[in-house]
This record gives sequence, structure tokens and C-alpha cells, in this order.
Amino acid sequence: MEKLTLNSEQELLESFEERGLDDSSLAGAPDAESNKVLEEQVEIEKSELVDTQLIYDYASVSIPKNKKKIALDVAWYVAGAVLSLIFILPILYMLAVSTKSQLAADRATGIAMFLPDFANLGTFFDNYGRVLTEYGIWRNALNSLIYAAIAIVLNILVNGLAGYVLSKFNFPGKKFFTFIILFLIIVPVETSIIPLYTIVTDMLGLKGPTMVVGVILPAVISIFNIFLFMQFFESIPKDYEEAARIDGAGNLKIFFKVILPLSKPIVATVAVFCFIGVWNDYLWPMMLLSAYPELMPVQAVLQTIQSIDGVTTGEIMASLVITSIPIFIVYIAAQKYIVQGFGSAGLKM
Amino acid sequence: MGTISIIILVVLAAVLGTMITVDIVKAKRANVKYHWKQCIAGYVMMAPAITLAFVFVLLPILFSLGYSFTDYHLLYPNDIHFVGFDNFKTLFNEIGNHGELYNAILNTLKFVVFVVPLQIGLALVLALFTSRKKPGVKVFKVCFFAPVVISLTVTSFLWLQILAPTESGMLNSFLSVFGIGPIDFLGDPETAMIWIVIMSAWQGCGYQMLIFSSGLTNIRDDLYEAASLDGAGAWDKFVNITLPGLKSTLLYITITVFVGACRVMIQPMLMTGYKMHTVTLSYYMYEMGYGSYLVGLSAAVALLMTIVIGIVTFIQRKVLKGD
Repeated sequence: MEKLTLNSEQELLESFEERGLDDSSLAGAPDAESNKVLEEQVEIEKSELVDTQLIYDYASVSIPKNKKKIALDVAWYVAGAVLSLIFILPILYMLAVSTKSQLAADRATGIAMFLPDFANLGTFFDNYGRVLTEYGIWRNALNSLIYAAIAIVLNILVNGLAGYVLSKFNFPGKKFFTFIILFLIIVPVETSIIPLYTIVTDMLGLKGPTMVVGVILPAVISIFNIFLFMQFFESIPKDYEEAARIDGAGNLKIFFKVILPLSKPIVATVAVFCFIGVWNDYLWPMMLLSAYPELMPVQAVLQTIQSIDGVTTGEIMASLVITSIPIFIVYIAAQKYIVQGFGSAGLKM
Repeated sequence: MGTISIIILVVLAAVLGTMITVDIVKAKRANVKYHWKQCIAGYVMMAPAITLAFVFVLLPILFSLGYSFTDYHLLYPNDIHFVGFDNFKTLFNEIGNHGELYNAILNTLKFVVFVVPLQIGLALVLALFTSRKKPGVKVFKVCFFAPVVISLTVTSFLWLQILAPTESGMLNSFLSVFGIGPIDFLGDPETAMIWIVIMSAWQGCGYQMLIFSSGLTNIRDDLYEAASLDGAGAWDKFVNITLPGLKSTLLYITITVFVGACRVMIQPMLMTGYKMHTVTLSYYMYEMGYGSYLVGLSAAVALLMTIVIGIVTFIQRKVLKGD
């Protein structure tokens, strides 16, 4: 496989040379590197040939073996660079175009497509300015933040309390709830978004701007989070709770002062995934709030921006970047908890 | 609708009531005493979760089931009739006539068949690739994971620009260097679905890579060392140690990726709109319900999907867990 990627790199380089581009114009580090690597690879292939010829010559075995290891390392790095480029180039493209005017974006070819518009630093952030103020996307970003904040707090309270009761209390009817939770987790429910829509509009009778309630509330309840909280709370020793009870603390006080502080990792995990869920949700707010663009969360308004007359590619890209930044920050800040979330995802099976 | 939900509520309450009485009787026999104050406090504390779960989780599922046998129309919610299996007959006719639903099924199948092996295979390759402990491996991991961070909506709009059918689109601009004219990637019925597959795998596989990675760290190193001493090659080690060690991870990932793939909808919706060559089952279901107001038909599609997905995941579980 490594050889394959090298071959394609070679073809790429050749094609660049055919177009009369010299190597120095491909200033990108990976390309300069790959050239060196190519030479090395050729040498390695030669040495491998030698290796098979001298396979019975004990004295010479040790040196090529060491070389082979280096070759493997180099090949690994080259393959890694190529793979990384596949994943990162479209994102670089998004970032680069977001700084360009339509003209600059259309003119850019080759490597310049992936480089920001350093030539016109004066208009570098113009697209961002226009998207934020003229198209008013800052309002929608703020909406998203507010909805997410409300959903996170309620999510932890509602599901946390349920998880607390189900894991620590002994009451008649407990089996009924644990059964329903397991049933809802295991059975694959096909998108019930249309019935949910009829419930919100028809049964609850939400109309007009109160639809916002319908956007937030479904994000508050999560059977899986109840399950996660249950699992985590069960591992907390009873002693903590009993000590607090002897001190005269009530159920709620124990939950807020003892259980939640001891469960910071799971609370953080739930908060992070709730934030990502609400921030990235597109279809549901779109369905409910299509008549109220000023109440829409930011993802839903992206579609509106696309259809504005005379919108430039750069502006579209700027709106995409703005939408991605908060999630990006959350992923960096909460890495630990996200990895924990992956671990707990395995529990689901 | 209100009355139906009250009936459901009464039925559930009755089931709960009998279970409570059974528990109390059992407790009396075993001489276990409940703290009644605690029990009431427990129910009060669970009340918000129970209410929300009933309205937003349980009711939609039950309604979806119920709607599929009615002619529920979104604009006339008070005029519902029970129509038996008429909705399903309409759907099967639609399939027989090679109508929209037929295309939707075909496109969804195409998507699932391509994206599941591609995404899982890519994720496994990336996880194995980044399992080497070398300086710089974290940089690679971050790069592979980067597309996961941008949402599906953003990804779809980004790729819409990348695949733009004009000279300025990224891919067409790249191809024009080789003298290949601008191609309408998403307009061509032959290739549109393939590009959606590639984009989806590109966006999603970093997520599965991380899950595979944590699965890989759980495999004990001494197994590999022992195998090396026995003279096993890299492939032997992969087949005999890595794959069996990843079995439960693989099961989890196959099922989640499969179910996610069956639900594909946002990508075609944002990238091509409602077109015959990209419409998928979920998209068809959504258009039926929200676009054409035919909730009954839409619910029938959802029910069929649930049954098919349930059966397939059951088989996957049996196959991967078996032997």
C-alpha cells in the first residue's frame, strides 16, 4: 500500500514537471519531503534486491535489516502525510476561500487554492464581517448558544435525577422503568421525526415563536444519558450518601452536593455531547422555525445564506467556518471527556 | 390525538400499577420494608424525565406505528380514518411501478453497500496506522479526526462547493489542469451517489477510528510478542490476534454505521435536493410527511424501515457474535 501511494506521488510530481512547474514552486513541506523519500525508496528497493541475493550470506544480513526499519519508518511518515492531506485539504480549502473575494477565489489554481489570500490582507476578514453583520449570522450563533446552554442544564438535571433515583433508591415499580429504558436503548427506532412534529404542533399546540420550546425540549430527554448516569452513580459507594443523610441532608441536597460533584466526568461527557447534538442539529429546528429566521439556530440558517442573491463562495465558506468554530473549541477543550464518551458508547451493546 | 395519548397513558399506568402491587406483595412476603417517603420522593424526582420521555420518546414511536394504518393528513389532524393495510399496498404498488420509492430504496441500498465497508475499512486502516508509537502520530490522528468536528450540514455545503460544476470548483479546477472539462459530479445520476458515499466516509471515519483505537489498546501486547516468537507474520498477527480482539468493537461499529447509513438524508437533501438519482428512504419519508402532508404513508415507510433495520442488525449481531 505504501508503495502504491508513493507511485501516485511520483506521477503527481511528474505531472507537475510536465506543466513546467519547478519543485521550488511546490514549497509545501510534504512535496519536498516526498522527493527525498522517493530517492530513499529507490535505494531501499535496490537494497532489498541485494538482500534476497545475499540471503545466505549471514554477515550482510544485519545492515539491510536496519535499513529496512528506517525505510519502513520513512514510508510510514510519507503515507501518513498523504492520508492527512486527503482529510485536511478540503478543510484548508474552506479556510482559504473564506478569506478571498469571488474574483480571487475563481482565479486561484493549484496550491494557491489552499492558501489564504495573503496578497489582500486588507480584505482578509471582509467575508466574515459581511456574514456576521449584513446576514446577521451572529444572532443565530447566539441563539444556538442559548438553546444549547438551556438544553445542557436541563439535560443534566432531568436525566441525572432519574438516573440517581433508579440507581440508588429502592421503590416498587423500579423494574418497569429499567425495562423500558433497556427496551428503548436496544430497539432501533426509525426516525420518528414526523410523528414528533405532529405532537409538537398539534398535541402540544405550539405556535409561532413558542416553537422554540419544541426545539429545545426533545434535546433535554435522553434515555441513553439516564442509562449512563445510572451506570456511573451505581459505582459511587453508599457511605457518602449515608454520611450526608446522617447530617440531615435531604434527597435533593444529596444529589446536588454529594452525587453530582463526585460524578464530574460523566456530567462533563453528557454536557459535551449535548452541546454537540444541539449545535449540530439541522433538520428539526428547520422544520419548526422555518417561518422565524431570527429564531433559527446557526446550522439551520446556513441554507438560507446559500440562497441569498449574489452571495459569494467566500461568504458561504466564512459562514461554514463560523459555524464550525465552537464545536472545534469544544473538541479541543473537552478531549478527555469525548474519549470517555467513546468508551461509554461501547456500553450500549 | 389527545384522547389516544390519554388511552396510552392509562394503559401504561395500569401496567406500572400492577408491577407496583406485585413488588409490594413480594416485599411483604420477604419482609422487606419500603421507606414510603423515599419512594414518593423518588417518583417526584423522576417525574420530569418520565413526562418528557413519554411525550417526546415513547409517544412518537407509538404514533408512528399507529399512523401507518391511518390516512392522517398533516393539514387535517382531526379527520383521521383507519385504513388497514392500504398505505402498505400503495407503497408496494409504488415499488412495483418503479416510482419514487423504488428509486429511494435503490439509492439507499447503493449508499449502504458502499459506505459501510468503505467507512469501517478506512477507520480500521487509520486506527492500525496510528497505533504505531512514533513521534508525530498525534498530528496524523488530529488530521484524520478533523472532518468529524465539522458537522454534517457544514460538510455537505463544503463539498457542494468542492464538487461545484464550474471551473472554479476545487475538484474541477484541479481536473482542468489535466484538460478534463468541468464535470457535474452531483448532476450525473451515475456518480452522484458515489460522491455522497465518499464524502460521508471522509467525514465519519475519524470517529470510528478513535473507537477502533481504544479497542486496539485493550489487546494485550504480550499476545503479539508471543506470536512474534512463534514466527508469525504481520498478516497472521492481524487475522489471529487483532481481529478477534476487536470483535466486540467491530460489532458495535458495524451496527452503528449500518443503522446510520440506512438513515442517510441530510447529504442528498442539502447537496442535490429532491432528485430521483439521489433520493433516499429517509428523505422520501420526510418529503411524504412534511412536504406532501401524507403522514400515514410516511409512517408506513418508517415502519417498514424499522422492521428491515431490526432484522438486519439482529442478523449482524448473530453473525459477529456467533462461532
